[in-house]
Amino acid sequence: MLTKIQTLNTEFLQAIENIKDQKQLEDLRIVYLSRNGSIASLFEELKNVPKEEKPLLGKELNRLRNLAEEKFAEKKSEFEKLLTKKSQQIDLTLPGRKVELGHKHLLTQTLDEIKSIFKGLGFSIFEGPELESDYYNFEALNFPADHPARDMQDTFFVNKNFLLRTHTSPVQVRLMEKLQPPLRAIMPGKVYRNEAISSRSHCMFHQVEGLCVDTDITFAELKGTLVAFTKQFYGKDLNYRFRPSFFPFTEPSAEMDITCFLCKGKGCRVCKHSGWLEILGCGMVDPNVFDYAKYDNEKYTGYAFGMGIERTAMLKYGITDIRTFFENDVRFLKQF
Amino acid sequence: MKISLNWLKEYIDLTDIDVEEIVSKLTMSGLEVESVENQIEMFKNFIVGFVEEKEKHPNADKLSLCVVNNGTEKLKVVCGAPNVAAGQKVVFAQIGAVVPNSGMKISKAKIRGAESNGMLCSESELGLSEDHSGIIVLDQSIKEGTSVSEALHLNDVLFEIGVTPNRADALSHIGVARDLAAIFQRELKLPKVSIPKSEKNINDFASIEIIDTENCPRYSAKVLLNVEIKESPDWLKRRLKAIGLRPINNIVDITNFVLHEVGQPLHAFDLDKLAKQKIVVKKAAADSLFTTLDAKERKLNENVLMICDGEKPVAVAGVMGGENSEVTSSTKNILIESAYFNPTSVRKTSKYLGLSTDAAYRFERGTDPSSTVYAAERAAQLMAELSGGEVVNGFIDVYPNRISEKEITLRFHQVERVLGYTVPNENIKNILASLGFEIKNVSGDSITVSTPTFRPDVEREIDLIEEIARINNYDTIPTISKIAIPISEKIDESAFVDDLRTIATGLGFNEILSIPMITEKAADIFGKPVGLLNPQGSEMGYLRTSLLASALPVVEKNINVGEKNIKLFEIGKVFLKVNDDLFTFSDFVEEERFLFLLTGKISEKEWYTGERDFDFYDLKSFVNECFQKKTLDNLLNDSYYHNGNKIFDYFFTKSFGTTVLGSGGKVKKEVLKQFGIQQDVFCFEGSVEVLKSITPKGRAFTGLLRFPKVMKDFAFIFEKDIPVENVASFIKKKGSGILKAVHPFDVFEHASIGETKKSVAFNLSYFDAERTLTDEEVDKDFQSLIEIVKKEFKAVLRGK
Ligand SMILES: [Zn+2]
Repeated sequence: MLTKIQTLNTEFLQAIENIKDQKQLEDLRIVYLSRNGSIASLFEELKNVPKEEKPLLGKELNRLRNLAEEKFAEKKSEFEKLLTKKSQQIDLTLPGRKVELGHKHLLTQTLDEIKSIFKGLGFSIFEGPELESDYYNFEALNFPADHPARDMQDTFFVNKNFLLRTHTSPVQVRLMEKLQPPLRAIMPGKVYRNEAISSRSHCMFHQVEGLCVDTDITFAELKGTLVAFTKQFYGKDLNYRFRPSFFPFTEPSAEMDITCFLCKGKGCRVCKHSGWLEILGCGMVDPNVFDYAKYDNEKYTGYAFGMGIERTAMLKYGITDIRTFFENDVRFLKQF
Repeated sequence: MKISLNWLKEYIDLTDIDVEEIVSKLTMSGLEVESVENQIEMFKNFIVGFVEEKEKHPNADKLSLCVVNNGTEKLKVVCGAPNVAAGQKVVFAQIGAVVPNSGMKISKAKIRGAESNGMLCSESELGLSEDHSGIIVLDQSIKEGTSVSEALHLNDVLFEIGVTPNRADALSHIGVARDLAAIFQRELKLPKVSIPKSEKNINDFASIEIIDTENCPRYSAKVLLNVEIKESPDWLKRRLKAIGLRPINNIVDITNFVLHEVGQPLHAFDLDKLAKQKIVVKKAAADSLFTTLDAKERKLNENVLMICDGEKPVAVAGVMGGENSEVTSSTKNILIESAYFNPTSVRKTSKYLGLSTDAAYRFERGTDPSSTVYAAERAAQLMAELSGGEVVNGFIDVYPNRISEKEITLRFHQVERVLGYTVPNENIKNILASLGFEIKNVSGDSITVSTPTFRPDVEREIDLIEEIARINNYDTIPTISKIAIPISEKIDESAFVDDLRTIATGLGFNEILSIPMITEKAADIFGKPVGLLNPQGSEMGYLRTSLLASALPVVEKNINVGEKNIKLFEIGKVFLKVNDDLFTFSDFVEEERFLFLLTGKISEKEWYTGERDFDFYDLKSFVNECFQKKTLDNLLNDSYYHNGNKIFDYFFTKSFGTTVLGSGGKVKKEVLKQFGIQQDVFCFEGSVEVLKSITPKGRAFTGLLRFPKVMKDFAFIFEKDIPVENVASFIKKKGSGILKAVHPFDVFEHASIGETKKSVAFNLSYFDAERTLTDEEVDKDFQSLIEIVKKEFKAVLRGK
């Protein structure tokens, strides 16, 4: 009899562990705990055992019944909890409610990056007007009237006094009129050229002008500063060169080239098979410009530079048509 | 500008220097080599072939089947040229050759069923001329198998050099050779001129008078008699063809040759066509007509400098000769003009006539006034050699305005002060000497040189420093890795708008950058526009007077590509006329503005919501949120205009005191129609300057409320036409000091409360920063407000 109780105990514990749902649980309850269940039939058998064994067997049998009832209750509440949970459960896979961040224009982002690098190098940031006078755009920058140098920049004129600035360099002049050295500043902004609009050129684009004036500024510092900028902006590994060029407002003048990062210098269509990409123009401030600004040439030297933003962003992000920037297609704006 | 390496070698010995080094050194010293054309490489697989047999192609009328001997084997070749014949020596492009004019690579092919192992070439296919009428037939004496480079003397290297406007001196082969001489420290060899003596005196054949001496400081001339006009010899034609010029006849070719050799433009007149055999240099008569060499009749003005003979104009000075005095096949006697014209005058004329020539290009950059006689004699010598003419003794040289060489002193320490490193004095001296500067004096701390007249760009000490830097190569200048930065305050004038951009993107707006050039019609809607003198078409003739004017085309484009629901912002300049004519900066205003624009739907159909269009209240709340971040928003006050204006159906303005910051509302349909937009657009445009001026410089912390707030609600029914804002501000004003805010939170209109009525519920918040409020004091204020509102607005309290 005791063995029977113990066997039933083991069987029950195994059976209840394998129960998967409430239906199975109920079936199991009927097998064990119903009026004709196996535990009840053991109680029937108990009536026939010798008297002296009754107390021990009765106790064991009661223990088994209590255990079984407890386990059933436990399982039942487990299933019930699960059931209520399921009915209250939300569908986590639905898309979230829509919230959209706006995007700064890619050119603004490019400018931000450039500004932040130069700020780190100790530069201030200044701005100037887009509708400029001939004096600031040309004359004070040492462009003589009727000089072929003016042909380098096709100009939109408002009349003979005013024009849309063709470069950000006039801000240099305005800055020097306003402030005394030491000066270390960049001047970003829109510029305008009367060029046919195509995939490669536009009548409006952005430049960043730079100017640095102090008592001991040299071409070597110009090179050092621009190389530092270039490496931060384009990457550490690229090669560079400074090539003599001509701008009326700098002397000596240079253009800075970096290794074409599309072909790694082997030569491709973008770099016109030279392996180099021209990224900026620069030079030592021409003494005539200091004369216009009433700076003492014997006391101060300085350098200046200017770079276009569109081409830079086009190369960096693989944009092949400059018009993309000004069409402002929202699908483009949202990509960056 | 095209420069031939073979030609250069006449003036400088370049032995042991390979092409690559020449290219890189030229580029790195300021004459940028933009492209290189190496003919030997180009014509690598082109050889002389002998056509042994020729028969008709069985399947094509215009094709022939040829057997070509390439010196080692006989190959079948299909040829389409009409002039191909057995027995010819021809240019044979072998398999692997790349045809210069098309870039096509020759490979073994079947043409209409016939095998072909190459191609027989025309001049056009080799890029030698435009002639594609037939294949090139070579001299019989050339052996088959000879390379075409050798047979046709196509063994040159051609450089395309980009010359900056300051380097007039480099616009010739001798000019480029001079830079190379300085770079490689080799000798520059100038051609020696020797002319056989003649018994005749030039003054018996021609005379020259300069009336406008300012624009023609020097005029030199040589005279040749009894020339024979004919084709130029091969060497001369080759030189000109190499740099892309078409040979014409011996006399014209020589003037072109000397131009590209020395840099001095020359003109050859038919002396017998010059009335009284006289040259007079003077300004043209206003509105006179003149036919130039290119057979075009041109209208002159009184600023155009002309070369005239004893009666009439014969050339536009420095730009182009005239048809009436041109050298023709019957010309016998020649006057060679070699002059120096004022660069500005030539430039103005060239621009005025819209005529750009090789001569004008050089004159307007500044030729060498000292080389006129040399160039004329060089040409005269060549003409005598190639035309059999007699050079009359002497030259005429009228030089009323002498241009002299300038002396410049360079202090040695200045080189280091500008460049940042020490250049040895000896090196400075050598560079300047080899560039043609005459060393006048050298002391311990300075050097004085005289500047040659072919370098008008070198005028100052700094210009000499540049010469030294470029010839030494900028690579030799150190790239320093440490700089000294003043610790003074740094300024960022763009910080304010950058912050505005950050706020706008945080609110979900996308930034656009639109072109400020717009149509007159668009500009007119928004104000008095500034027009451009030379716009790119009428579409872009005016500057925007409002950001909206340039943003609406962007909206239209986006709608067209299916982007109909958009939130855009722009920060940019607008241009407003103050006075009709712009003489000074006070005659117009250039103002930086910001624009927020909404169109389409704020939400589309989603599982959690239905779709809804953007409306005025969206605009208002975005704008308020933006300003709240920028300014303390209680400084601003709003005014509402239900009747609208030229642009808006209805709008509101935000002001600070009496200064209007900006306005915004629903854009009128008529305005949108002009831009092809059919959906509603809401926008707000304002001035960055004003916003900046009212933005507090600093901010102070407001202590956080430590006592509980008491919230009370009530709702009233009153007339529809009473603005909610009036009621709310009335309540706020009439409440006691503990009433801190009144917020309308429900608006309800229904027939059941009366057709002309609306019901509005307000939420009142009471608190005090210093203490907890009692129920009694709040209730007292609340109850009294109910009565006041009832009375003031004839309102009925709802509910309760
Ligand atoms: Zn490349």
